[in-house]
Amino acid sequence: MSTEAAATMEIETVPSESKPESNPLPPKPKFEPLKAHEMSDGRVQFRKVSVPPHRYSPLKKYWMDIYTPVYEQMKIDIRMNLKARKVELKTRQDTPDISNLQKCADFVQAFMLGFDVPDAIALLRLDELYVESFEIKDVKTLRGEHLSRAIGRLSGKGGKTKFAIENSTKTRIVIADTKIHLLGSFANIKIARDSLCSLILGSPAGKVYSKLRQVSARLAERF
Amino acid sequence: MIPSAMASSTETALESLHHIKSTEPPEWLVPKQELSQAVRAASKLLFSSLKPYCPKSPFDQLLTEGFDVEQIWQQIDLQSQPLLSSLRREVKKFEKHPEEISKLKDGGVGGGEKKKKVLEQIETDNVVNDDEDDDDMDMDEDEDDEEEEDEEGEEEEDEEGEEEEKERGTEEESENEGEEKGGIEDKFLKIKELQEYLEEDEAREFGLKKKKTKAESKKEEEDTEEEGDDDDEEDENEGSEDDDDEAEEEEDELGLFDGNDEEDEDDLENARYEDFFSRKKNKSSKEKAKSRDMLEEDSGSDDEQDVDKRKDGPSKHEKELDKLRSKIEEMEKANLDPKVWTMRGEVTAAQRQKNSALEVDLDFEHNVRPAPVITEEVTASLEDLIKTRISEGLFDDVQKARTSSSKAPREIKELDESKSKKGLAEVYEEEFFQKTDPASALLTFSDELKKEASMLFKKLCLKLDALSHFHFTPKPVVEDMSIQTNVPALAMEEIAPMAVSDAAMLAPEEVFSGKGDIKEEAELTKAERKRRRANKKRKFKAEAAKRMGKKA
Repeated sequence: MSTEAAATMEIETVPSESKPESNPLPPKPKFEPLKAHEMSDGRVQFRKVSVPPHRYSPLKKYWMDIYTPVYEQMKIDIRMNLKARKVELKTRQDTPDISNLQKCADFVQAFMLGFDVPDAIALLRLDELYVESFEIKDVKTLRGEHLSRAIGRLSGKGGKTKFAIENSTKTRIVIADTKIHLLGSFANIKIARDSLCSLILGSPAGKVYSKLRQVSARLAERF
Repeated sequence: MIPSAMASSTETALESLHHIKSTEPPEWLVPKQELSQAVRAASKLLFSSLKPYCPKSPFDQLLTEGFDVEQIWQQIDLQSQPLLSSLRREVKKFEKHPEEISKLKDGGVGGGEKKKKVLEQIETDNVVNDDEDDDDMDMDEDEDDEEEEDEEGEEEEDEEGEEEEKERGTEEESENEGEEKGGIEDKFLKIKELQEYLEEDEAREFGLKKKKTKAESKKEEEDTEEEGDDDDEEDENEGSEDDDDEAEEEEDELGLFDGNDEEDEDDLENARYEDFFSRKKNKSSKEKAKSRDMLEEDSGSDDEQDVDKRKDGPSKHEKELDKLRSKIEEMEKANLDPKVWTMRGEVTAAQRQKNSALEVDLDFEHNVRPAPVITEEVTASLEDLIKTRISEGLFDDVQKARTSSSKAPREIKELDESKSKKGLAEVYEEEFFQKTDPASALLTFSDELKKEASMLFKKLCLKLDALSHFHFTPKPVVEDMSIQTNVPALAMEEIAPMAVSDAAMLAPEEVFSGKGDIKEEAELTKAERKRRRANKKRKFKAEAAKRMGKKA
């Protein structure tokens, strides 16, 4: 393996004829970026993502949708360890970039958190997307009925408030009982998080909508 | 006249009286000589029977032959008037001294039986004559147009009727009073209460001193009554003229002097010279009382001394001096006293009485126009105005100010509340494409719907037109609505932008999203500058507080 790698390495030598006089410095080497394998001296790198019980059956359902982009496009080996209930990822030789592994791991993690595959795929495709999680109790300590009401406020009737936030801020939101997960770019996550926090704190949905409209209009004009 | 003749004449007269009584009322309607003769005789009898009771009557008997009705009536009147007043006096006397009635009765017994008889007869006649009197009055009304004889007869009858009435009235009164003589006190007039009230009243007016003097001078009930009246008169007049003073004095002295009830009314009615202008013995005491009334306490003593010295009383000049002095004292007193709050300058509510400002008419500037008084003319004028306006159609309606439509209508981004069909990746993909490739304008949700709707409608219209029109019309050109995005003009035209240009597709006013007047720094007024600075500071403070909150 290493010999192959060495063979691929090319050393471009700057022709010495360009300089008439004697060149004290050696020519600048030009290296190609390291492959994933070369980085760790030919050793394989692993990532393991644990599967929560409630995502077990969706994983089984969407396994092919997950497997295909990971293996084909990211060139990362992926397998499910049933005994340990974990998804394991491994670099291959032809993995172009070491960051692929991390991206795939993030992608699978996002799926485990509850995001849909088409949404989580964005993680593979775009660099600057992040997943942020927080709990309701981080914002405000609510108990019993209040907590239930807050969750209801967040989602809205039939989820319309959540969708409104998602659509206007180009993010994806997962509300898992008291945990909230956000997926999107940094600024968008911020806006979505502000909206969600105001909803938790008790402001009515209409107020949040109006703010969202302003913000989204500003966002739209920015580009 | 011979008594026998008199007796026979009285008998005939009595007979005639009876005759008159017995005649039926309708018989009086027709004039009869016999009836008038009888009446004359009866009235003559009555006259003579009453003669002993009236001391001042000039006639011994009623002269009826050859006399006019008027003359007969006047004779009767001459007799009856003083008789009535004397009867009244007698009655009053009996009110006060019931024991005298018994004396009278005894005297009456000693007198002529005839008189008694006559009295009894008269009593019985009076009892019976009620109806006759009423008839007389009625007949008087009915027969005004008849001849002199008739009138004479009627008037005689009237006179008789009236006389009988009067006699009956007085007789009854005296009888009544004989019975209830002690009961005059039980009726509404209580003499003692009246006396007390008068005393109180005068004490209130003059002060206690006057009461003392009155108590001294008072002898009987009527004295105090008269004095009370006189004192009031004194107060009113203030003794300005000599004559009046002396008149009042004399009246007081009258009161003082009269011990008897009988004389009182006589004296008041028949005032004599001696009453007014002779008595000077009791002047000094009366003057003392008067002086206390009119003057102040301080000057009173002086006046008393003066009065004691003088014999004729204070002269006009002295009186004027006294008046002047009293006025001066009043004014001095007013000056020394603290002023009324209205004269004091600035007065707060604590320095004056409660609600005292309500009684005073305060004058201050009203900055508000007073509310218009709604009169009939005002309402009429308003109504006329309304009518003219309606007829002309000239209403002062508010015109809606149309906003200038120079700006391009801004797209209102609607919030999509349904689950987005595109995945997040696709969303970002599109965003990326917009950034790199500006030509691909993003169609919003509402635009798509609108486009679809407009397309459907156009198709429908085309079909309907084809149905309705006879002539062939080709398919219309569908104009596509394209949205102008604010994108550099060069970028739109070139596929691969080689050059960068500042020219944008949208005009500046279409891009501009400010509101109202935008002022330059130089154009701001001082107040506006301050306002801007204050706003800035406020925002800064809010942000600083927020930051501190975050840190903590």
